[in-house]
Amino acid sequence: MSSTATFDAEISEPPYDSRLFLTKLDQLSTNEFGIGFVYSVLELLARHYHLVDVVVVVGDDSLGMQSFRLDRKKVSSDSLVTVPGVFSEPDVVPDVVKDVVRSVCQLALSLHVARHGAAHDRLTNIANRRYFDSALRTAAVQSARYGWRFTLVLADVNGYQAMSDQVGPSVSDNLLRTFGYALRQSVRSGDTAARIGGDEFGVILWNAERAEVSAFTDRLRALPVAGAEQIDFTIGTATSPRDSTDPTELYRIAAARLDEKKSAKPQ
Amino acid sequence: MISSSEEDFELELRSLPGVLNVGISHAENGIVDAVTLFVRDQDPDAVRDVAMHVASLYYPDVTVTVEDANRAPSVHGRDGPRVALTWTGFNEKEGVSEVHLSFLGQLGTGMSGSGPLIGGAEATVAALRDLGYEIPCYLMAVNNVHTSTGWPVIVTFRSLADGSDRIGIAQADGELESAAKATLDALNRYLSVQTHLEP
Repeated sequence: MSSTATFDAEISEPPYDSRLFLTKLDQLSTNEFGIGFVYSVLELLARHYHLVDVVVVVGDDSLGMQSFRLDRKKVSSDSLVTVPGVFSEPDVVPDVVKDVVRSVCQLALSLHVARHGAAHDRLTNIANRRYFDSALRTAAVQSARYGWRFTLVLADVNGYQAMSDQVGPSVSDNLLRTFGYALRQSVRSGDTAARIGGDEFGVILWNAERAEVSAFTDRLRALPVAGAEQIDFTIGTATSPRDSTDPTELYRIAAARLDEKKSAKPQ
Repeated sequence: MISSSEEDFELELRSLPGVLNVGISHAENGIVDAVTLFVRDQDPDAVRDVAMHVASLYYPDVTVTVEDANRAPSVHGRDGPRVALTWTGFNEKEGVSEVHLSFLGQLGTGMSGSGPLIGGAEATVAALRDLGYEIPCYLMAVNNVHTSTGWPVIVTFRSLADGSDRIGIAQADGELESAAKATLDALNRYLSVQTHLEP
C-alpha cells in the first residue's frame, strides 16, 4: 500500500501497513494538541487496524495515571488498567506502533496540562496571577485608549487564615475552591476572575460601575454552592478610567479600599 | 472565563482527585449531556459533588455519574493466572542475585549485582520486565525488620505517575526469597491487571 494523500479513501487490510499508519499519524492536525488529539489518535488507530475498541493509559505528574478509551460511553471496566500502554481489541497493533501512540498521547496530555496550568490556578481552576496581571494591563490600555469602562474587584475570603490554622489546609482549600466556583458562576462572559494570592481573588468586570458591581457581589453572596456554608468575603474596587487608567494605581486603590473595609469589620 | 472548551472541561474533571477516566456522551445536538467519572481511592459522593459544580459551569443540564473502581467487579478474578516465583539464588562468588518467575509457562529471569536483600527486589523487577511487564515504579527501599517470628522483608516502590508508594511485605526462607516475594506483593495489583490484558 502506498503512502498517498488519499488515506481516508483507503481501507487497510491485514497485514496492516504500520508505516502508513505512522504517516497518517504525522498528518493529523496539531492545532489542538491536547486531550482531543488523544481521541483523534485512537480513532485513527481503530480505523487503520479495524479495532473494536482501544484504550491508551498514560501517566502525568499532576493528574496521575489516566485512561482514554475510544468508546467514551464505556469508561469503567478496562479503566482498571493502571499501567501505561495501549490495549486494543483485537490485539493486532504492533508494539512499535503502540509505543509511538503511547508517546504521542503522553505528549498531548502533558502539553494540554502545561498549557492549562500556565494560565490557571491549580486549586480553583480560575485564572492565575500571571494571566490576571496580563489581562489587567490589557484592560487598562483599552480603557485609556477607547474610554472603555471596567472595574477591578479585589476580594479577600474572611477568616481563611484562622480556618487554615484550626482545621488544616485541606478543609480551608475546599473553602477557596468553593469560592472559586462561586466566582466562575457569578462573572459574566468576557469578565475575568482569578486567584491572585493565598485567599485573594481579583475580578475584571467589563462595563461595570457601582450598580453592576453590586449586582455581581449579590450574585456571589447568594451562591454558592449546595451543601456549603455561606462564604464571608470583603471586596475593594477601583474603576477605570474614573479612578485611574494605570493598572498599578488601580490595584493600589482597590487594595486600599479593601483594607479599609476589612479594618472596619468587627474582628 | 479564559477557557470553556470541552477539552478543558474534560481536563478539569480529570484533575479531580482519584479520577482515572472520564466518559462523555453527547445529545443529538452535539451538546454534552452526560458524564461518567471512574474514580479510585476517593469518596465517590464527594467527587460527584465537586464534579457537578464543575459540570454546571460548562453544561448546566449535564448529568454526572461516578463509578467507584474499588467497587467495580474485578474483571481479573483471584483465580486467574498469576506470576509465580519459581527459583531464587545468590551466587556468592560473583555476588549476583538471580530470580526466576513464570507466567503461563513463560519464564522470566532477572539478575542483580546487589546483595540478597536489595538484589532480590532488583532481580524480581528485572524478571518481570523479562516477562514483558512495564513497571511504572522505581525501587525506594528494601528493609528487613526483626519480629518475634523472624525477619520479614519490606519493599517500597514509588509510582512514577503520582508519587504514591506501593509497599509489599513477605517472609520466606532467606532474604533473597523474602525480598522477591515482597516485591511481587508490592506490585501484585499492577501485575494482576496486566496479566488479564496480556493475551
